[in-house]
Amino acid sequence: MAREPQDKATPGKTDERDLIRDLATLLDESNLTEIEVERAGLRVRIARNVTVAASMPVAAMAAAPAASVAAAPAATTAAPILDVAKHPGMVPSPMVGTAYLASEPGAKPFVEVGTKVKAGDTLLIVEAMKTMNQIPSPRTGTVTQILVEDGQPIEFGEPLVIIE
Amino acid sequence: MFDKILIANRGEIALRVLRACKELGIATVAVHSTADANAMHVRLADESVCIGPPAAKDSYLNIPALLAACEITGADAVHPGYGFLSENARFAEILAEHDLGFIGPKAEHIRTMGDKIEAKKTAKRLGIPVVPGSDGGVNPGDDAMAIAKEIGFPVLVKAAAGGGGRGMKVAHTEADLQLALSTASNEAKAAFGDGSVYLEKYLGKPRHIEIQILGDGRGGAIHLGERDCSLQRRHQKVWEESPSPIISPEARERIGEICANAMREMKYLGVGTIEFLYEDGEFYFIEMNTRIQVEHPVTEMITGIDLVLEQIRVAAGGDLPCAQNDIVINGHAIECRINAENPVTFRPSPGKITQFHPPGGLGVRIDSAVYQGYVIPPYYDSLVGKLIVHGKTRGECLMRLRRALDEIVIDGVETTLPLFRALAREPSIIDGDYHIHWLEQYLASGDAKPH
Repeated sequence: MAREPQDKATPGKTDERDLIRDLATLLDESNLTEIEVERAGLRVRIARNVTVAASMPVAAMAAAPAASVAAAPAATTAAPILDVAKHPGMVPSPMVGTAYLASEPGAKPFVEVGTKVKAGDTLLIVEAMKTMNQIPSPRTGTVTQILVEDGQPIEFGEPLVIIE
Repeated sequence: MFDKILIANRGEIALRVLRACKELGIATVAVHSTADANAMHVRLADESVCIGPPAAKDSYLNIPALLAACEITGADAVHPGYGFLSENARFAEILAEHDLGFIGPKAEHIRTMGDKIEAKKTAKRLGIPVVPGSDGGVNPGDDAMAIAKEIGFPVLVKAAAGGGGRGMKVAHTEADLQLALSTASNEAKAAFGDGSVYLEKYLGKPRHIEIQILGDGRGGAIHLGERDCSLQRRHQKVWEESPSPIISPEARERIGEICANAMREMKYLGVGTIEFLYEDGEFYFIEMNTRIQVEHPVTEMITGIDLVLEQIRVAAGGDLPCAQNDIVINGHAIECRINAENPVTFRPSPGKITQFHPPGGLGVRIDSAVYQGYVIPPYYDSLVGKLIVHGKTRGECLMRLRRALDEIVIDGVETTLPLFRALAREPSIIDGDYHIHWLEQYLASGDAKPH
């Protein structure tokens, strides 16, 4: 797969978009109805007349890019991310690590959309080098958006949740 | 070879490391503070991780954040650049504990050379000539006056934990000694957390000559000649050149072999620079820096060897690029460190670069991370970039330097370019006739004619 120049508008993005673009072109140009590619923690399947789905196994975080790549349906556009970064209720991450929404796999998440929280309540955990760090809510309010996926790598300042 | 290197630095050196990684086909991770989100190397890296707010202690010196960034990106090695954690032995050890590579020397060698008293003892033991001085540290109970008299005044009081030109006080006569000792010790305690000091003979008009070495960690090492870094202001190098205008091939071979042999005996790994004061034909060891240095490009220009690339290679267990007799000195190179500072007062001038035109042409190199529209943050050093010029002879090099300095455009901030334009036309510089006090004397004299 040919490498294309880095997308300079979104610093740090990997060549996933290039991969998807190339596969889509390949699908268009051929008689194939479906193409599926898997490598280093990423699996992409493109099928004719169906929306593109990108899935990222939670366990393979080691190879995942650190820039905020949503593992959710690819229909997510860039615009909401810019908006949430400026949202007054946005809670940024105070550290680098991996976000977990529950205290352990299978447990109930600390918060969900609609949960009412007091200042100091645990919102989620950021794990770095085997230490679990509870992220407290900076204020009292209601969780209106959860901006990270369970197991997502996050950087300093990354928007975690919106509390209004 | 490493698959993915995390660049634990910023500015021009981060970009420099990124370039070497890309040429080796190694994936790159740029870590940055919030203030450096728009840095050129961040834009060019394969991945980036914001690791903290602007303050260095919370970002570039934040070891847990750096480790976490390695963890989430899967980086298998860290390049520390220069400054920051590059000579932090504990950091090198922590990386090893986490099975992460460190592009640098073994932790024990960083530690030995980081303590300037230990470094001098080690140098002596390895047969490297040293500045006459106290045998080890001078403690409060010692007869400092007796030691100083034996060395001979004037003497220099130096902090054991210092280095890079910091933590030094001169005692010109016996009357000055006590004050110099207490001041140096108190300042050292405040700045480095360690008030230990030692004494050295203060040389009158020495030149600063340093030898670049490269070791493979298994007993193989080569030297790549010298750099003359005598032009300094407040112990910070301003202009460096290679070869030195006053070092003969015989002297180069002699001191180079002494250094290379010492590195072979130590089984030193990676790049390093052994710094000397040179006066009346004699070399005197002052310190060793166990990292890549700012002025490494002048050595690259005359030897054709990419030092950062070789650093990465030997760190990954690779061999030296060649044997000692394959190292050939070709022509002459000069580097000017361009700072965002007023050229007369040297007051820092951060801000937005509104116009940037780098000079080009044969033998002209710019190592800089700035670009038109870039905003120089106020939180870090004021280095805008390094202009490095190469010529077949020193004369050709100076002509080319003058041309490049006249062509370069950096607007929007004040820079020290006018100082370099003046230096490139100054008779003593053209004659290569200067020493480590020359630049400060020139600046103080009022004869300085910024161009």
